[in-house]
Amino acid sequence: MARMSFRSMLLAGVLASGVASAQVLEVAVDASPVGLDPHRATAFSTFQMINGTIYEGLTSIDKDLRVKPGVAESWTVSGDGKTYAFKLRAGMTFHDGSKVEAADVVATINRVLSKEIASPLASRLAALDRAEAVDAATVVLHLKEPSAPLLVSIATIAIVPRSMEAEKEALQRAPIGTGPFKFKEWQTNGFVALEKHVGYWRAGAPKLDGIKFNIVPESATRQVGLASGQYTMLPNIDAATALQLKGRPGVKLAETLELAYSFVGVNTSRPPFDDARVRQAVNYALNRQEIIAAALFGAGVPGGPLSPALKDWVTPVSEFACYKHDPGRAQALLKEAGHSAPVAITINVLPRQDIRDVAQVVQAQLNKAGFKVELKNQEMGQFIQDWRNSNFDMFASTNAGSPDPDDYFFRTFRTGGSTNVFKYSNTELDGLLDGARTMQDPKARQEAYAKVQLMLACDGPIMHIAYGQLFTAMRANVNGFEIIANRSLSTLADTSVAK
Amino acid sequence: MLRRLLLARLMDLAVVLVAVSMIVFAMIRLIPGDAVAIMLGANTEVTPDRIAALRAQIGLDQPIAVQYFGWIAKVLRGDLGTSLWTGRPVVDEIAVHVWPTVQLTVLALVLGAGLAVPAGCVMARLRGRGADAAMRIVTVAGLTIPSFWLGIVMILVLATVAPSLQLLGYVPFSQDPLGNLARLAMPAFALGLPILANLSRLVRSAMLDALGQDYIRTARAKGVPERGVVYRHALRNALIPFVTSVGIMTGYLLGGAIVVEQVFAIPGLGRLILGAIAERNYPLLQATILMVTLGFVVVNFVVDLLYLAIDPRVRG
Repeated sequence: MARMSFRSMLLAGVLASGVASAQVLEVAVDASPVGLDPHRATAFSTFQMINGTIYEGLTSIDKDLRVKPGVAESWTVSGDGKTYAFKLRAGMTFHDGSKVEAADVVATINRVLSKEIASPLASRLAALDRAEAVDAATVVLHLKEPSAPLLVSIATIAIVPRSMEAEKEALQRAPIGTGPFKFKEWQTNGFVALEKHVGYWRAGAPKLDGIKFNIVPESATRQVGLASGQYTMLPNIDAATALQLKGRPGVKLAETLELAYSFVGVNTSRPPFDDARVRQAVNYALNRQEIIAAALFGAGVPGGPLSPALKDWVTPVSEFACYKHDPGRAQALLKEAGHSAPVAITINVLPRQDIRDVAQVVQAQLNKAGFKVELKNQEMGQFIQDWRNSNFDMFASTNAGSPDPDDYFFRTFRTGGSTNVFKYSNTELDGLLDGARTMQDPKARQEAYAKVQLMLACDGPIMHIAYGQLFTAMRANVNGFEIIANRSLSTLADTSVAK
Repeated sequence: MLRRLLLARLMDLAVVLVAVSMIVFAMIRLIPGDAVAIMLGANTEVTPDRIAALRAQIGLDQPIAVQYFGWIAKVLRGDLGTSLWTGRPVVDEIAVHVWPTVQLTVLALVLGAGLAVPAGCVMARLRGRGADAAMRIVTVAGLTIPSFWLGIVMILVLATVAPSLQLLGYVPFSQDPLGNLARLAMPAFALGLPILANLSRLVRSAMLDALGQDYIRTARAKGVPERGVVYRHALRNALIPFVTSVGIMTGYLLGGAIVVEQVFAIPGLGRLILGAIAERNYPLLQATILMVTLGFVVVNFVVDLLYLAIDPRVRG
């Protein structure tokens, strides 16, 4: 009995030394993933762990936010823009060893569209008529109408094995994808561990033997862990944390401009914000630079309806007349709209520290311009409920962005859009948005979105405030990592840690 | 007589469990914020039929009494339900999270309660002298220092003093016993310090109270050596309020020390419950709170048994 335990101790010692020489990247994140099913769990906490690491789509997004090949090595688009033919790479396998074939892509698309799975990603395939596996290596997507955002959208639709098409629960805890890392273990509230996918299609990748996402809720603990070397990377952190780590020995920062933005949004179906003049007044009342300096530590830029990171599409903020800070003009507009006394409103505030800070500065600025603001700091569940039921005058929050402008506008501003909680309806805007989705000529699209931005900046239901700086902090000996504005960690495939 | 006493206590405990289960069941459904809305998230398409389908799946469309009895019936059969988000059995989730909490409880109590008895006795012996006053001031400090602040300060200090030590997070004992204990040392200290402060003051005042009693005068008059007076006579009487307090503290600790767990990134019951509340994960939340209550109740039962051992008056 004693001899057996000695032998097992010896074995454990051997195994331990073998494991110690493997290079596992210790990452610290602040939130648990809500699930690992790429079609059902779309929260950021999940996205950053699985996108580009466990899962890949037909296309992928590089660090310059351009579309590049993913599972598909090339594609052709028909003249009328309604038929896309994707050629899949040869010799790809899933993490369970099965070969990747066109039937898997078709099954993936069917899974996303199925009512049973009820995937939030289904709307990204709204233009799709049907998907067809022409042969084992070719998938053809037949669209009802041309779809300009399609190539960007399918980058976020993870390819799963065809056996998973009807499976509802299995992928939540046991992901199977094509990515450079395969799932090893998920200890709830503890960590998510990934290991190298030996059969990955790209030779020489990944360089790491594994990744361990440690779930560490307390910011101070994460910072100390990185500074002391216990953690090697803190991905996608905010300015406050990053600036505290700046200049520490052994630590370096990567940064990029965010696609996400902070904003206040209003209910246009009831007073006072049913009047466009009152909405304009809010814009004149806001001093965006002051908000950025006070609440975001100066790490950000004022922005309109599109992120400045979308260089091909964005209209500069200087073209929006109402973005000039002018409380006098704001008060004049309120008077014009028939309000003599201060306009009393409440702002529901998203329970996130940076948004709470932003809301306080907004309150001070609006109070100086003819409003009387009460802040409601709600708990997340209550906030979501009020948001969904449009039970607010104004709310302060943050929205995610995307490499394609359509994602910034369609769901949020079109009449009946799924996240149009503002009850905003503008038929001219609807026409522009419907049209711009199908335009194939980039120049025509740019003109359409330029008109959209001008329409929304001053009169729209959202007063955009700022696009922040997104940071990733890592040990100085980490090589090959590039930060991407959509928060994907796909460049971990080329990352290595020098000794 | 003894058996009837124990049976009566057991009945009380059963009543407590049932009452708590009902109260918790109702209370969590009163928290504003619809579980279904949160599950579907703030960024997705939500159609009324999708909401209705999810409500039916969770069982929220039935009257609350029906939901309760359905749940209790399953619990009595041993089925604690499945977690809303992951579909994993609740029992598995609790099983994974309970061990860090149990370990932390044991270590904090060993530190806090274990040291409290000698500390309290020393303070009682030194009563009135400068050392006693000094120790009492130190205990006030121990009582008032917040655990999360202490925790963060300890992490920062250790990071500067011994930067290469891996002391954050949690490793199971079976996997790496030394690593497990090394990582739990700091959180156990952060948890144990207020307990030590509290209990040592309790022991001190209970000892002083006992030492002022008539039977102590009798013992001294009989010629019992001072050490025997203090430890054999006074201490046993002082232990009764001490044991009560330890029982209650154990119950609280078993519920998960949420703040310490957050700071030290330990996946214990506190974080499990906090996460379940935020998600409105009703099945997980109900079952976990019920299990924690059961733990509390069992601990208090054990305390009652200890009374029987310590205090002959209860037996009679």
